Amino acid sequence: MPFFRITLLRSGIGLPAKTAGVLKALGLRKRMTTVYHPVTPDVAGQIMRIKELVDVKEVETSLTKDEMRAARRPDPGYYIETRKPRDLDGKTMGALKSRW
Amino acid sequence: MFGPFRLTNPLSGGLLWKVPWRLSRHQKYRQRERLRRVDSVIDTLDSALAKQGQTMKKVVRWKLEMPREEEMLPKDKYTVFDRKVKRYRKGIHKVPKWTRVSQRLNPPGF
Repeated sequence: MPFFRITLLRSGIGLPAKTAGVLKALGLRKRMTTVYHPVTPDVAGQIMRIKELVDVKEVETSLTKDEMRAARRPDPGYYIETRKPRDLDGKTMGALKSRW
Repeated sequence: MFGPFRLTNPLSGGLLWKVPWRLSRHQKYRQRERLRRVDSVIDTLDSALAKQGQTMKKVVRWKLEMPREEEMLPKDKYTVFDRKVKRYRKGIHKVPKWTRVSQRLNPPGF
């Protein structure tokens, strides 16, 4: 199911109440917020009213706020070593035994 | 001569706001970018709805009536009609909220 990915680039401050209402209805409260809405004529009509303020792309899946945040997070550049699980004799357990 | 307290017209003489009568070339460049951005939003809406087998009257009418950025004359990109101005044109930067409203067409005959 395709979605519109809508990002508010320009603020709606000082614009007519109808424009501000559309922004609120779409869930765009601040600049640079991104929301996903299904591709329907209703949503297209809402976008038409705020077309000067937003960036719109058609995408296949919608992401939640946490997923968008995780996608932005850069690679940390390190990994944390953890102790291998061992049995009571001090021998390593599991499939990695042959390497030790 | 330089620095924050230099003698300029607004500092020495009280109230003086000057809005240039035409856009700079950088303002014109950004204006073209904004026009193109709106065009791309319209294209996205149209193609996404067409994939669903749907159309929308507002989008169809916009595509029929409104010129795209590359089809517009420079006159229409950077100036607008105004009946109070001599020769009926004024710079588009005199329009309130001009960077966030669409103003592409002229009244008939102008």
